Amino acid sequence: MTDAPATLHQFLEGVRAGRLTAIRCSKCGTAAIPPKQFCPECGQRAWEPLTLSGKGTVASFTVIRVAPRGRAAEAPYAIAAVQLEEGVSLLGRVVDVPLDAIAVGLPVQFRPVQSLDQTVIGFAPAKDVLR
Amino acid sequence: MPRAEAGAPVRIVTPLTAAASPAGTFCYHDPMRRVAVIGVGVTKFGKHDRTSAELFAAAAADALANAEMPASRIQALYYGNVVGGETEQQLHTSPQAASVLGLPSIPTTRFETACASSHAAFRHAVMEIASGASDVVMVGGAERVLNVPTADSTEYFAYASDASWEQTLGLTFPGVFALVARAHMHKHGTTEEQMAAVAVKNHKHGVLNPKAQFQKEITLETVLKSPLVADPLKLYDCCPFTDGGAALVLASEEVARVTRRPIWVLASAAASDWMLIGDKRDLSRVPATERAAAAAYRQAGKRPEDVDVVELHDCFTIAEIVATEGLGLFEPGTGGLAAERGWTSLGGKVPVNPSGGLKAKGHPIGATGAAQICEIVTQLRGEAGRRQVDGARTGLTHTLGGNTATVLVSLFGRD
Repeated sequence: MTDAPATLHQFLEGVRAGRLTAIRCSKCGTAAIPPKQFCPECGQRAWEPLTLSGKGTVASFTVIRVAPRGRAAEAPYAIAAVQLEEGVSLLGRVVDVPLDAIAVGLPVQFRPVQSLDQTVIGFAPAKDVLR
Repeated sequence: MPRAEAGAPVRIVTPLTAAASPAGTFCYHDPMRRVAVIGVGVTKFGKHDRTSAELFAAAAADALANAEMPASRIQALYYGNVVGGETEQQLHTSPQAASVLGLPSIPTTRFETACASSHAAFRHAVMEIASGASDVVMVGGAERVLNVPTADSTEYFAYASDASWEQTLGLTFPGVFALVARAHMHKHGTTEEQMAAVAVKNHKHGVLNPKAQFQKEITLETVLKSPLVADPLKLYDCCPFTDGGAALVLASEEVARVTRRPIWVLASAAASDWMLIGDKRDLSRVPATERAAAAAYRQAGKRPEDVDVVELHDCFTIAEIVATEGLGLFEPGTGGLAAERGWTSLGGKVPVNPSGGLKAKGHPIGATGAAQICEIVTQLRGEAGRRQVDGARTGLTHTLGGNTATVLVSLFGRD
């Protein structure tokens, strides 16, 4: 049996440390978010680590006003699907920006965010936009 | 293309090889047998002080009476229930449901594909009969959620999205479709008014359905001025939490031929998509709908323009717009216009959700797929009363699970 190329636990530990370490198919170059056994494009199982820059743009977003149990104090909060420059997408909290300033196409940069007792994926406006 | 003869017995006699058959599909090549729905039953939707097993059993008793068939003929139960473990502290719900019905010895299986659960149960029951394993099978589903606070049910419904990646962000079920809505608005210019038109239409239809949770018309202003739940979706863009049950009696052709009102299953197809929202390439589309619809049309030898009446998964107003496009009823990007122009209203080009849909009829998640089929069977029998689609001969049901990762599409026809 071959070891899994990257586990969910490893990825989330990276998030806590401020890193996004994804996987890339060494056969066809497709980037993916772990855990995955087979490349969805070429069907091979030949992943290598891929360090993501964390830079991307907002593909879609929402502001959660009615929150699940235990999160009422955090609401309203924004969640966006972010297209990263390596071609993969991640969902994350959008922070450090007024809720009404979030828009599709907004350049953002990954940063870890605390929610309840967990560190989760977050995105803040890219620094060069603020200047 | 000439319009196909709706409702004609259709058998695809060309066997598809495993390699040519998309995953999750099957087709009625010989020796598969034809399958009919011969009885339907559905409870009133809304709040009930009964367990989900009781709600299912009440609908099942109605379905058996509707089929004019004794319970002793049922050989298996295929059952949908989603959050019983959370709201009722109840697992093992399918034998419980059969016991409450009074059939403690038949084989039972619970299906869980989020909101599409009883449609998945239906597809597998169809295959059990088509294969020759059984002649008469019960399909049903039930859900009870109004016995817990809204924050709790919001939490439990979110369990249908990924625990590690999405629930940890505080993503809700409305939040998933808000992401779809924003992407559709950005790509196609769909407006909040067009989404609101879906809610207004489905509430108008719901007034005509005595089983509907809401039997009250609303206006565009009602929707547009309702509080935001997950921007841009507002309270009236969302279906309600609902208690209810639904049941169907399915039979082989040989059995169905001696019943009074069989409605034939022309196709039943399933498809999936990536579980993670981040892995979906274009949030303005639901690829699982497109795949399941293509497989179903191919099984039935039908085309979208053959469909006379549709019950589809309008858990949110944007979900109906995207589904009408994915099912091929309207061009991509024009689903909002179709709702706004009344093309999907009773009397329109292709009436969608004459029952009131999930929006007004209600959405007891484990029962929804079966309840949609109940409505289409009723329509094709010509028994839908004030909400009847005149002359309907071919009907379609579409049920979506959770975060758009599961979709089932089935087609029905009458003799």
